[in-house]
Amino acid sequence: MIWILAILLLLAAAALIWLWLARARLLVEHQSASEALKRMQTTQSQVMHTNKLASLGQMVAGVTHEINTPLGFLRSNAQVVTELLEEHMQIVGKIASALGKFEQVDLAQPQAQEALRRLLPKMQAALKNDERIAESRALLHDALEGVDQISSLVKNLKGFARVDRDGQELWNVNEGVESALMIANHQMKDRIEVIKNLESVPLVRVMPSQINQVFLNLITNAAQAMHERGTLTVSSRRNGETVEIEFSDTGSGIPSAVLPKIFDPFFTTKPVGEGTGLGLSIVHKILTSHQGDIKVHSTPGHGARFTVILPVDHAALKSHSAITRDPA
Amino acid sequence: MAEKIRILCIDDEARILRALKALFREHEVHTTSDPKLALLWAKSKDIDVVVCDQRMPQMLGVDLLREIKQVQPRAMRLLLTGYSDLTAVLASVNESEVYRFINKPWDNTELRDLVTQAANIARDVPILPSAPISDSEKEQARRTASVLVIEDDPDTQNRLREILGAHYTVRFANNAERAMQLLEQHETGVVISEAETNAGDWTTLIKLLKQYHPQIPTVVITDRANAQLAIDLINEGQVYRMLIKPVRMGTCRLSVESAIGHYWQLKQNPQALRRFSVSAPKSTGGLLPTWLSGGLLERIKKLPRRLLGSMA
Repeated sequence: MIWILAILLLLAAAALIWLWLARARLLVEHQSASEALKRMQTTQSQVMHTNKLASLGQMVAGVTHEINTPLGFLRSNAQVVTELLEEHMQIVGKIASALGKFEQVDLAQPQAQEALRRLLPKMQAALKNDERIAESRALLHDALEGVDQISSLVKNLKGFARVDRDGQELWNVNEGVESALMIANHQMKDRIEVIKNLESVPLVRVMPSQINQVFLNLITNAAQAMHERGTLTVSSRRNGETVEIEFSDTGSGIPSAVLPKIFDPFFTTKPVGEGTGLGLSIVHKILTSHQGDIKVHSTPGHGARFTVILPVDHAALKSHSAITRDPA
Repeated sequence: MAEKIRILCIDDEARILRALKALFREHEVHTTSDPKLALLWAKSKDIDVVVCDQRMPQMLGVDLLREIKQVQPRAMRLLLTGYSDLTAVLASVNESEVYRFINKPWDNTELRDLVTQAANIARDVPILPSAPISDSEKEQARRTASVLVIEDDPDTQNRLREILGAHYTVRFANNAERAMQLLEQHETGVVISEAETNAGDWTTLIKLLKQYHPQIPTVVITDRANAQLAIDLINEGQVYRMLIKPVRMGTCRLSVESAIGHYWQLKQNPQALRRFSVSAPKSTGGLLPTWLSGGLLERIKKLPRRLLGSMA
């Protein structure tokens, strides 16, 4: 009996030791795994940050270009209008001093009346024919439009970067498409025609700054795929419980051998130093974290089509179906 | 100027065109957004000065200016731009040979002065013959004038010796003092210089040389993707060609051959010099780097009499 008990005790002790050892090994493994996870998370956030900085650079370049043009005529017009008004004031001044001379004259005198009669039409013509006022008005009109142009750029920029908030919100994807197109405009303006087919779509619940980054990335890729002239067609539509946003270019397309790899991190076909190989992998990651997806279709030589898919917010869906039933 | 300046403005933004028309209201201003019409008008309206936007949907400004140069060579070409990428700046030097680069938003007084100055040159200063110099002239130019390379990187020196050594007399200087000695002792047809090296900024030397010796074309080599530096080199240094590192054999040899030809033509037609002149550099704020103190500036000023007997 005792022997049996002793053996059982020994077995129990062995099991305990084994368990303890296993636990220790697990603990070590767990620690190294969590360290690895931490490292990966850091790398990932660094990568995301780099990508964010890259799109910030793009944004600055785009906005600089877009703002400098209205600034150009605004500044010039302000100065020219000042000059025109000064010249006009000189005419007014001359007329005023000519009229001033009549203060000392007895207007009942026929000579005075004659002189006034001769002078008045000249003054009238000088004032009426002075085109400086009409020109100033036109230049100020342009200046006001320039101010509006800059205001809407700034508004767009704020909408794009979401500097004032960062979280999930109910959002219209078309808004994002518009602001991403504005940011990318300087890359396309001189050679790429943009066609927009944006339908009224239900709202999605997303982090707009991230989805904007996705859109900008896809637009930039499309612009770079079209070396010469080309057309970028951006469409949005509802497809069942999802919203689809499609970016279709007439660029060089993607070879079928490359197609399965394009969402892999660090995969790039761009020359060394030009692409990080992270753009599309981040696009993919952002969309997955939104329970969305991205699809690609390409005929090499005839361009590529990327389709972003995002789930519709259910609360928003109800109100949207109410809207879409409306014949208007 | 007694006669009105004939200015041609091209921009895809109608409000920029109206602004320029109002700015130059005392002159004859033609404005259009259509590059084809601009090309037609450049000749038919006998244009003096062209002010052209860089980014337009139908055509790039540099490309249009290059074509205008063919049809109306005496017109001076100014490029107006809202955002300068290096590619555009390089093309404007190497292909369209623009007179000045203007950033939007511009300063009205500066732009007016610039256009007046350009118009005076367009009218009074003859152009260089458009045909390249003959082979026998090339040979003569090669024998008479040497190539000065200001460069302190041995690798680039070797590379340039490889590319140019067989065709030209190439001399190397790795500092300003040595460069001055060579300029004093030898007739120099081209200066090839790095924009910036570890030894410092060469752009001031390039600009000063151009200010006092516009007959010597400069070919600048740069590895920096810095559009503003390039713009300053155009506006204040009238750089003849700009090459990006690594220097390619073909482009480099072509650039130097074209530059020597340019030098030779200017030597035969010194009255055309003003087309390539610049005023004192502004971007340095009038301050000269310390290496210029030791009488180097005086030596730069004294250069022409020693070298260009036929021109001075």
